[in-house]
Amino acid sequence: MGKAEVKLAGMGEIVFARGAGVLGCIGLGSCVGALLFDPRTQSAALAHVMLPEAHESDVRQLPGKYATSALPALLQMLDTPPAFASRLKAILVGGGELFQNRSQTLRIGERNVETIQRLLRELRIGVVFEHTRGNFGRSFEFDVASGLIRVRAMGNTSAEKDLSAALGILRRAA
Amino acid sequence: MTTTLNELRTDALREIGNIGLGGAVTALSDLTGVLFTLDTPRIHPMNAQALPELCCAMPETLVVGTVSRVNGDWPGEGAFLFPWESAQVLWHILVQMQPSGLDDLNELYQSVINEVSNIMLGNYLQAISQMTGFTLHMEPPAFAADMAMAVLSSILVEALYGQRELLAIETAFKTPAHEFKGYFLYLPETGNLEKLFAILGI
Repeated sequence: MGKAEVKLAGMGEIVFARGAGVLGCIGLGSCVGALLFDPRTQSAALAHVMLPEAHESDVRQLPGKYATSALPALLQMLDTPPAFASRLKAILVGGGELFQNRSQTLRIGERNVETIQRLLRELRIGVVFEHTRGNFGRSFEFDVASGLIRVRAMGNTSAEKDLSAALGILRRAA
Repeated sequence: MTTTLNELRTDALREIGNIGLGGAVTALSDLTGVLFTLDTPRIHPMNAQALPELCCAMPETLVVGTVSRVNGDWPGEGAFLFPWESAQVLWHILVQMQPSGLDDLNELYQSVINEVSNIMLGNYLQAISQMTGFTLHMEPPAFAADMAMAVLSSILVEALYGQRELLAIETAFKTPAHEFKGYFLYLPETGNLEKLFAILGI
C-alpha cells in the first residue's frame, strides 16, 4: 500500500475521501468522530462533533460542530438523500467523560453519543464499529481503501479492526 | 453579546492576568519552596481553531489537568494542565513519591494536583476580587489524566456550551530549578466582560 493522504478533522470540521486516503481525529475527549461510509461509491465523510444540539448561530460555518447539523452535512457530502441513507455504514469513536468527579457536569460526551445514535437509528444507518464512552480520550485513523481502523488511547484500551467486509469494500487486484 | 476588545482592554486583561497569576505562583512557591516564574499572559479569543501552545505542539502527549467552575461576577472555567513529566516534579517535591504510570495514579497523587490547582486558582481569584470588588466562588477541581488534546477539548466544549466564543487568558509558569512547565487557562464567559471593564472605567 502506498502512502495515503491523511486528513484529520479538527474540532467542528468535516473531512471527506473517496476510494483512498486516511480520515481521522486526534485527541477526542467528549467530542465524537462520526464517520459515514458509502459502499456504493467507496467514499467516507467524517465530522468531529463537539456538542449534541445546534442552538448557535455558527451552524452554517461549522455544521460538523453539532450532532444535529453534522449528520445532514455528512449525507450531503456523500450525495445521499435521507431516504437512501440506510445504504450507508457508520463508525463512532469518542464521547468519553474524562473528568469523573465534576460537581455539576453537562455529560456532553454521553449526550453526543446518544444524539448521534438516535439520528442514525432514524436514518436506518447501521453502526459497524463503535469505540465510545468510558473515561478516557482517543485518537483514531480510518483507511478508506482497506477499511482498517486504528484507535489509540492512553493505557491499554487501544483497538485495531479490519472493517472491509462490514463496509463492503471492494478488494482491488494486487 | 459581543464585547469589543481594543488594545487598552486587552492590556487591562493581561495585567489582571499577571497580578492574579502572580499571586497564584507565589502561593505555589510557598507550598513547594521552589521559585516559579510566569510567562506574559496571552489574551485571545478561544475557539476550536485557537488552541493553547501545549495542545498544538503535542496533542497526544500525556498530561494531568484540572478544571474548576467559577461562579459569581466573572463566571467561567479555570483550568491547569501539566505535562506528565512536570506533574512528576510536583509529586516529587510535595509528597516525595511519583506514580510510575497511569495505572499507578492513585487518589493521593490526584489530590496533590487538585490541591495545587485549588491554591493557585484561589489566589488568582482573590487577586481579581481585591482589584475589582467582584464576588467569585470556585467549585472543587475535577481531575483528568489523558492526551493533552482530549483533556483540553473536554474543558473547552463544556465551557463553550451555549456560547459561540470564549476569551482565553492563557499563561505558562516555569522554574529554573527543574524541567517543569505548567499551563493555566481562565475561560471567562464573554457576556460578563462589560461588567469588568465598567469597574475599571475603560
